[in-house]
Amino acid sequence: MAPSGLKAVVGDKILNGVIKSVKKDGEWKVLIVDHMSMRILSSCCKMSDILAEGVTIVEDISKRREPISSLEAIYLITPEEKSVDALIKDFKDSAFTYKAAHVFFTDTCPNELFAKIGRSRVAKAVKTLKEINVAFLPYESQVFSLDDPSSFESFYSPKKRDERDKAIASVAEQIATLCDTLNECPAVRYYKESEENLKLADEIRRRLDAHKADNLKMGEGPDKARSQLLIVNRGFDPISPVLHELTFQAMAYDLLDIKQDIYSYQTTGIGNSKEREVLLDEDDELWVQLRHMHIADANIKDLSQMLKKMPQYQKELSMYSTHLHLAEACMNKFKATLNNVCEVEQDLAMGANAVGEPLKDAMKSIVPVLLSEIDAYDKIRIILLYIFHKKKGIPEENLTKLIQHANIRDDSKIITNIQNLGCNIINAGKMLPERKERADSTYQLSRWTPIIKDIMENAIDDKLDRKQWPFISEPATITTTQTAVSARFGHWHKNRSPTEHRSGPRLIIFMIGGVSHSEMRSAYEVTRATDGKWEVLIGSTHILTPTSFLNDLKKLE
Amino acid sequence: MRDRLQHLHRVKTDSEGFSTVELNSLSELEPADPDQDLDGVLNEAQQIRLEIQQIQNDISELQDVNYQTINRTSFPSVTKRDSNTIGADIKRRGEAVLQQLHLMNDLRGELEARRGPSDPAVRIARTQYHCLSNALREVMFSYNDTEMSHREACKRHIKRQMEVVGREISEEELEEMMEGEELCVFSVHMEGKTIHSALMQLQSRQQELLELETRIQSIQELFLDVAVLVEEQGAAVENIEQSVQKAEVIVHDGTTQLENASTSDKNNPLKRMFCGCFPCYHS
Repeated sequence: MAPSGLKAVVGDKILNGVIKSVKKDGEWKVLIVDHMSMRILSSCCKMSDILAEGVTIVEDISKRREPISSLEAIYLITPEEKSVDALIKDFKDSAFTYKAAHVFFTDTCPNELFAKIGRSRVAKAVKTLKEINVAFLPYESQVFSLDDPSSFESFYSPKKRDERDKAIASVAEQIATLCDTLNECPAVRYYKESEENLKLADEIRRRLDAHKADNLKMGEGPDKARSQLLIVNRGFDPISPVLHELTFQAMAYDLLDIKQDIYSYQTTGIGNSKEREVLLDEDDELWVQLRHMHIADANIKDLSQMLKKMPQYQKELSMYSTHLHLAEACMNKFKATLNNVCEVEQDLAMGANAVGEPLKDAMKSIVPVLLSEIDAYDKIRIILLYIFHKKKGIPEENLTKLIQHANIRDDSKIITNIQNLGCNIINAGKMLPERKERADSTYQLSRWTPIIKDIMENAIDDKLDRKQWPFISEPATITTTQTAVSARFGHWHKNRSPTEHRSGPRLIIFMIGGVSHSEMRSAYEVTRATDGKWEVLIGSTHILTPTSFLNDLKKLE
Repeated sequence: MRDRLQHLHRVKTDSEGFSTVELNSLSELEPADPDQDLDGVLNEAQQIRLEIQQIQNDISELQDVNYQTINRTSFPSVTKRDSNTIGADIKRRGEAVLQQLHLMNDLRGELEARRGPSDPAVRIARTQYHCLSNALREVMFSYNDTEMSHREACKRHIKRQMEVVGREISEEELEEMMEGEELCVFSVHMEGKTIHSALMQLQSRQQELLELETRIQSIQELFLDVAVLVEEQGAAVENIEQSVQKAEVIVHDGTTQLENASTSDKNNPLKRMFCGCFPCYHS
């Protein structure tokens, strides 16, 4: 299945705007990437795609490379010193590493680096030099990531306070390229409770203006004036990243060891077992169907066995096998330890039990769990949920007692460190946002809805409170005159590639400090509920799992 | 996108005392050592690519011929190639390309032994081999689709003609007929041009279906071989991040060499190939 949404837009920009734009029939090219650009490229293009457009080999710029002097090179790189130095080095000696250079920067190249290129021999070999304005990872069709888990510390660690402004500038630029790529110039809003949201929103507004000067298409179109970009901090909803989720994708990433989106398992085929590695991404149609489903609904065994003899079905069959393994692995882990835990977690998160009775004695329900044989991190998650349930935090001696009962003194820093995100742990004042009443969950162990979903729905219905979510500047009105609009109305979409132009408005959510799978799922659910009128995109500095979240918290102080 | 080439030209300065003239002539020099291995790989790849294109052309021709045979009311006069000839050519070409691909893989292996696994010519050979294997598989699917479409068209035609003859035919009877069972329908008293024409059509459709089945049968093995070819390489080759990361840094000492060897063995496609549900392998 062809990727849709963000992946399609970025894939199209890279394949057509970069690679195909310098294609010459009969001539192959080398493609040189650095770490970030390789991640971007890999998330939306396959080897076959770029082979079809004349690229025969992809090289990492930071590695020592053999010269291939008969071929020209495309450099798709970030405009940072390391990469620029490597580019210059390739053309320093009299024998050039490649025949010529076509340079594409992911975003704006700073003046000093640009001048450095101009001063060196490579300038003679450069046949193309462009800034493509794609400095983010299209992780899924409606999810983007800045692929930088280290920014969690830059934003929230008291040790790294001096890095904060630099982090804000870098993130702002990356988000501006997202808007640029989507031709959006949204109204920028931020969650008032946290200072970094305002700073970031302000910086983004500035960058959007700069980008719009070069890309007049940004914000054009009758509905685009309604597009919004919301900036929110991780501390705004500390429950979602910590709760055990029972939907397929969230559960798999939480319970199993999935690195770089690759699931490895042993097949028990005929004869000895073999190791298989499968990439979980949107090219796997079955994954796209299953990923947001509740594990109980993902009934893979019942799905028809395609026992046709034609070889082309063998790919589908192996996909079924993979997801069957994945589901079984999740369920095995769940049954082993988590059955009780999930029920307690849901009660704490909702403040009520499955039949709606308010929780009276939360301490009573969590103590047996804390004394049981579950992992330290699972205990910490329960304690955190207990504290959040208390809304205003708990007295310090209670916290000490809990840590003692649970026997998790080594990891107890995680709990106190979360205060750096603005969350209440030890008797503080701030409250979590009010929740919407919902009647749509059918599973006892899946009653919790991420807070961001409420925000998404309110924003779309124009009911999002302006005091809590102020606009950086007033929402833009269409500045072109009526006549100009109607003259262009029938035509403005014609020179655009089909994927890029959704004509409806977009709601883009950026969460500072990591986004959880349940929150990603909310973007799709809310989009579907608008019947295609709105498209909700969500993204963050990185995609987190409960484990990675707790690990990052540990390192904050 | 922002084009900054003009900006670069404005900023450009002569470096290290070279004059513009000298710098220009430097960059226009022929590369010191043309890499014959690399040229060989790319030429070989191009040959295979052209052959695959030929197969695609054959498939297009077959589509035309199939269409003509159903939509003409009189017997075709054989001026161009008929479907059996084209089918045989496709089979022959497919098998030849498969052979060439095996040879290309052998060449890659030989280059790898001589120049090491991270050598660009070797890696280029690997990606070309992968790309062409997929292209061959795609073209075989395309052939299969063409024949299957024709099959359905013939069946529809038979059904219609049977109605003309006054005898409706069920799916099972249709399937039986395609396996060569005779149709015992035609009463002697049925006469007339329409009936006669319909009967002729029916006979030729039945004949065609039988020939089609034969063609498909004979190409089964080629299908299987191509499937194995692609499966052997694994899906991981498509992932760009993995391709880039697997290209190891130039070997510096013995320990790194050992590391490379064990990594490449782990990636040995034969060791990671079949999951238990590979249907054809076990049928």
